[in-house]
Amino acid sequence: MKSREQEYRELFMAEALEAYDAMSQHMSVLEKRPGDEGALNEVFRLLHNLKANARAMGHDAIGEVAHRMETIFGQIRSKERPFAGSMVPVLFSGIDVLGGMIRAVGANQELTENLPLIENLDRVIEGEEPVLLDDDESGSEEDATRKLELSDLVYIPIKKLDHLLNLVGELIIDRDRVLTLAQEIGDTTLQTVTAHLSRLADDLQYSVMDARLVGVGTLFNKFPRVVRDVATAEQKQVELTISGQDIQIDRNILQIITDSLLHLVRNAIGHGLETPEERVKAGKPEIGQLVLSAQTDRDNVLIRISDDGRGVDVERVRRKAVDRGLLTREAAARLNETEVHNLLFEAGFSTAEQVTEISGRGVGLDVVKLAIDSLGGQLRVDSKLGQGTTFTLVLPTSIAVKGALLFELDGHPYALPLMHTDSVVSLAPEKLHVVGGTLLAKVLTENIPVVRLADLLADNDDALLPANRAALTGAQDIIITNYNGRKLGLIVDRFLRQQDIVIKPVSQPLDMIDLFGGVTLLGSGQVCLVLDVPAITRLFLSRRP
Amino acid sequence: MKNRILIVDDSFYMRTMLKNMLTDAGYDVVGEAANGQQARDLASETKPDLITLDVILPDNTGLEVLKDIRQELPNVKIVMCSAVGQEVIVNEALESGASAYIVKPFSEDKVLEIVGGALQDSGASA
Repeated sequence: MKSREQEYRELFMAEALEAYDAMSQHMSVLEKRPGDEGALNEVFRLLHNLKANARAMGHDAIGEVAHRMETIFGQIRSKERPFAGSMVPVLFSGIDVLGGMIRAVGANQELTENLPLIENLDRVIEGEEPVLLDDDESGSEEDATRKLELSDLVYIPIKKLDHLLNLVGELIIDRDRVLTLAQEIGDTTLQTVTAHLSRLADDLQYSVMDARLVGVGTLFNKFPRVVRDVATAEQKQVELTISGQDIQIDRNILQIITDSLLHLVRNAIGHGLETPEERVKAGKPEIGQLVLSAQTDRDNVLIRISDDGRGVDVERVRRKAVDRGLLTREAAARLNETEVHNLLFEAGFSTAEQVTEISGRGVGLDVVKLAIDSLGGQLRVDSKLGQGTTFTLVLPTSIAVKGALLFELDGHPYALPLMHTDSVVSLAPEKLHVVGGTLLAKVLTENIPVVRLADLLADNDDALLPANRAALTGAQDIIITNYNGRKLGLIVDRFLRQQDIVIKPVSQPLDMIDLFGGVTLLGSGQVCLVLDVPAITRLFLSRRP
Repeated sequence: MKNRILIVDDSFYMRTMLKNMLTDAGYDVVGEAANGQQARDLASETKPDLITLDVILPDNTGLEVLKDIRQELPNVKIVMCSAVGQEVIVNEALESGASAYIVKPFSEDKVLEIVGGALQDSGASA
């Protein structure tokens, strides 16, 4: 559970950053039209709020600056004096300083009073001339002791970090090979050196991965604005709550999910939340709630978009799926609720009765699903009719290295990403049952279809032969995969181990077989194919007897 | 019966904090408004016992909202909320019929003391 302090802190940051952006915009309007009343009123209001909220949070340094700025804007607003002359640069630097302080709060840094600025603001309030300060350094100590300082931050183009990460990936593969060779040669000195090399390579890998991490907040904080705009266009009343901005994730992953998140949020407002009238009729508060949150779950980052709107109408989805020819009426009736929800992600499926200007841009949830798949992530939906819908994105923290389960089939090693692995079980043939030509394994309370991976991978597009339990001898090693809530057991020859792997794209000849998400090189130098669980699941569904 | 309160403030942060304080103390927060129009609508719809009203709102000054609501709901208690610096408006608000005012940043004790006090007055006069 998140503490109230934490919640207040997050709300404060989200509103303060939003206020800063808005004030900067209004300031540029005032630069062109110094008398613009709308801009003056807004800056005044935002400063007033920022002051009150900052003081409530104990950030008095922000309060001091905002208070003086508010006073000056109050004078301008009531036409006691114009937005002109020497006060303008002071006000601009005031906004800049506030922005810096807000960011410092976000980074958990100690705030310091900006005395030169405060003195200048006081002079402006009293109608005196401000003392001109050096443009950028107005924030530092007294002039006499000022030293030249370079920023501690360096901006690096993401391309350079991509390159660095690729190099690290290659290094990790070679490291594993050298480790294996050292084992084979059996020289103790060589083994000591390679063990050290291995630790260094690990450190390097995590440092590079770490350098690429950014706070989810960099994306989340753009949403208050988006939500406001979409809500206005859709004539909905929406209150957005954001949490988990500090959760770290690879910058490229954040980039890739940007459109998906935008789509899901628009969708939630456009289709998930009802109009105020509908909500009142349903006995709900007029204002719809939208929650955007992030949290870590082991090596993954979970991003959730929840609304308290109308929820998914399971019956309607069934009907629609039948109308669209996705499945038969009988098959649709057999699906449980989760399976029906997952139909939403099928290509071309959309339940929106009417395409609205903002939310319906011809992009379906299937496109969102594909984007998340491409990252090796998962997209889940939970919904209760009349109560709301939650979309959960399960994302890897980093793109470089993935946890994988290694296994053997026909003497070759294969890998399966842990993201799509539910569990591994060893079952005697008697524990498997044949129903309608398909093997079923009872794992916990669920009946899960099981198939021999060797049969599935056999170069053949025909339907699989009905399963023959008698052909199975001894305990069967089965990997239970999970894609989009659909579970499938794969019988393999032998489990090997769990290992972090670096996945490389497959080269030309294999590329035609989209069953493999890539290859990795094992320490032994063996090439190991990485199975693509979504593709394997689809193949099974198309070939099941 | 629980006293019913409407919160009017353009800052979500402030509304959340007020709502938590008041709900924890056993009040029934019947609505939250972020601007003058919402405040008017929610006030006439929910007919609360007390309204906490921010003096500076995006579409109107809190003062105009105060006067409008006063006219429609003569018995509602209104507690003005303001950060320091807007004492002129607060004074005018008290002259226009606000029961009390709270200066931001506020402590939980202060809020409950002022809200409780304002509501007690209403009990006596009702």
